[in-house]
Amino acid sequence: MANFMQNSVVNYACTCGLLNPITKLFFCRHCLKLRCGFCVCHEVDSHFCSNCLENIPSSEAKHKKNCCTNCFNCPCCQHTLSARATMVVVPKKTDETTKEGEGDSAKAVTRKMYYLSCLGCRWTSRDVGIPDQTVATGAWPENECSYQTRFNALLEYYQAVVLQDKQEKQEYIRRKTPKTHKFPSLTDRTGLTVSMIRRQIGWPDKNTQKAKPVNISPSLATDELDELPADIFTQPINLRNVTNIKQRHGQPSDQPFNVNKLYPQRRILWIKRSLRCRQCEHNVIKPEYHPTSVKYRIQLFANYHVPDVLLVQNEQILRAGQSSYIVLKLTNPTLHDVSITIKELPTLAEELQMIEEFKLACKIKENTATSAAAESLKSITSSPSLTSTTLSRQASLIEEPRLVEQKSNVKLHENELKFVLNQRDDSSEFDEDVQTPREEPEFIIWRKSNRASIRLNFTTDESLQAGDMVKVGFTMEYTYVNTVSNTPTTHTLSARVFIDAGKIADE
Amino acid sequence: MEIADTYYSKDEYVETASGNKVSRQTVLCGSQNIVLNGKVVVQTGAIIRGDLANVRTGRYCVISKNAVIRPPYKQFSKGIAFFPMHIGDHVFIGEGAVVSASSIGSFVYIGKNAIIGRRCALKDCCIIEDGAVLPPETTVASYMRYTAKGTIEGGQGNPNFVPAAMQDQMVEYTKSFYEHFLRNPQAG
Ligand SMILES: [Zn+2]
Ligand SMILES: [Zn+2]
Ligand SMILES: [Zn+2]
Ligand SMILES: [Zn+2]
Repeated sequence: MANFMQNSVVNYACTCGLLNPITKLFFCRHCLKLRCGFCVCHEVDSHFCSNCLENIPSSEAKHKKNCCTNCFNCPCCQHTLSARATMVVVPKKTDETTKEGEGDSAKAVTRKMYYLSCLGCRWTSRDVGIPDQTVATGAWPENECSYQTRFNALLEYYQAVVLQDKQEKQEYIRRKTPKTHKFPSLTDRTGLTVSMIRRQIGWPDKNTQKAKPVNISPSLATDELDELPADIFTQPINLRNVTNIKQRHGQPSDQPFNVNKLYPQRRILWIKRSLRCRQCEHNVIKPEYHPTSVKYRIQLFANYHVPDVLLVQNEQILRAGQSSYIVLKLTNPTLHDVSITIKELPTLAEELQMIEEFKLACKIKENTATSAAAESLKSITSSPSLTSTTLSRQASLIEEPRLVEQKSNVKLHENELKFVLNQRDDSSEFDEDVQTPREEPEFIIWRKSNRASIRLNFTTDESLQAGDMVKVGFTMEYTYVNTVSNTPTTHTLSARVFIDAGKIADE
Repeated sequence: MEIADTYYSKDEYVETASGNKVSRQTVLCGSQNIVLNGKVVVQTGAIIRGDLANVRTGRYCVISKNAVIRPPYKQFSKGIAFFPMHIGDHVFIGEGAVVSASSIGSFVYIGKNAIIGRRCALKDCCIIEDGAVLPPETTVASYMRYTAKGTIEGGQGNPNFVPAAMQDQMVEYTKSFYEHFLRNPQAG
């Protein structure tokens, strides 16, 4: 494995035809295929705040509008605000002071007060006149905008409209479709009660009363606009006091013009994602819930299953139309011996056929999926309380497979290089480096436990110009022992590998 | 590309019994307060201010050329106090970086010329990009990437910013960095 912060010189073609370094690929153990970020379904696994590192359940996150209640961002530079403590002299309450005599300044108490401060740009909550608070978190005033009540009324109204719409539709369907199914509703089969489902989707428990949207006053357009103030043409504008686009977008409800209207912004929550293979819907990644945990419950990284190819520094001078070689270091990450065959890339016709086969496999799966979805749809629509979309799974989209964009511009000398890589043995790290003499094919330069270096000979294309990148492409066939089921089965899989070997030298 | 072997001469680096490789051209102030937990590389020009407070690193850390490790301070009404700095295992600190964090987790990558302000907390498996500037008291959560533009991106499971296998990558990277950082065989 190379430095992951630099562009990788070794790339693997995903099943969909996109090239990625092995560190960005996943391996579905059920389909036995490579999957890139586009070939997996991204799902929200858990919500957390990246500042206070608190895990927030998804229902609560929705309720809090996906914001953390304790953390704020600077409205000026979007950095995190920190609470600062100061000692403030607070005069005693007036009724107390009158009892004990007037003007006694010694009786004033010092209290610990907090204000919010940005350590990135020195903005403080005092700049905009927010009073200091006695507690560091939780008591900061909400920035209520003037339209808030109007927005709430509109929200309520349209929620009622949607509800009414749904009720009418269900009423219509119920009257139209005769009850033919043995189980009149999905809920009978699944053991879910209607009220449970209602609660899950956030509807009131009984629908005896028909939802009726309350009337709201419609918005009115007006022709009357205030004249621009006269000084707007005469006074030079001070850009330091005018907010920029980013600051306005941070406060979308009122989008202030002046910086003195900026308010601390609640920090938006982050998510952990779980990734799911789009073809078989098994997880390829599932992280642990806790925000500080870096572990996974499921982790099917490609470099746990597919032999890793590393380019060893290439000191050859590459010239167009001449033969040369590169040295590759291959590592077997699995606990089984792997036999590897390196051969030419598939021809265009073969590649097109691979794409066809892949599409066909997806289509079969999709057909079964849609028929299953239709089946469930039928039962749901016949139920009195649910609309069709609520429980049926979203049909998965498969990344359209394509031809690999990058082409190899070399010709390999050998048709096939066959060799075996030993299984991974974690204790071998402590073994002594002893070269066991054995019959080795000529191209193997070095070998130690599960790693081997091989020499790959090739001739570069005649047409290459000085400065062009020499791209060495090959198909790597490898055996893979599938341990998903109880009886391990061996498969021969193949990966297409592309290597940037270096540039054609100047004459 | 495999990490190329880097050779140093015997005069330039000292190798300790626990496998630390420390350049002689470094400024290690208050070295009794500095604990390097083994197989740590401290390259030429690096400064570690152990005189301010304790500095403790885990195994397989790389402190690159001209990086500055400076324990964080906090201001009180009666003056300032310095706090110890803890660095986890398999942490890479790039060339010219200035680090004043209060804690750095394991498997953290800090890019070239990054500035980590005082009392920042870098959690396990995060990346600080080259040239990024972190204001004081910034928290960078696990699997987050702090960009040179000053934004935080990523999240566990997002393959575009921090690799999903960040832990393995950092272990591999720091180990191979150590293994390819060799004493020049000729100069002996
Ligand atoms: Zn893909
Ligand atoms: Zn928070
Ligand atoms: Zn700020
Ligand atoms: Zn799959």
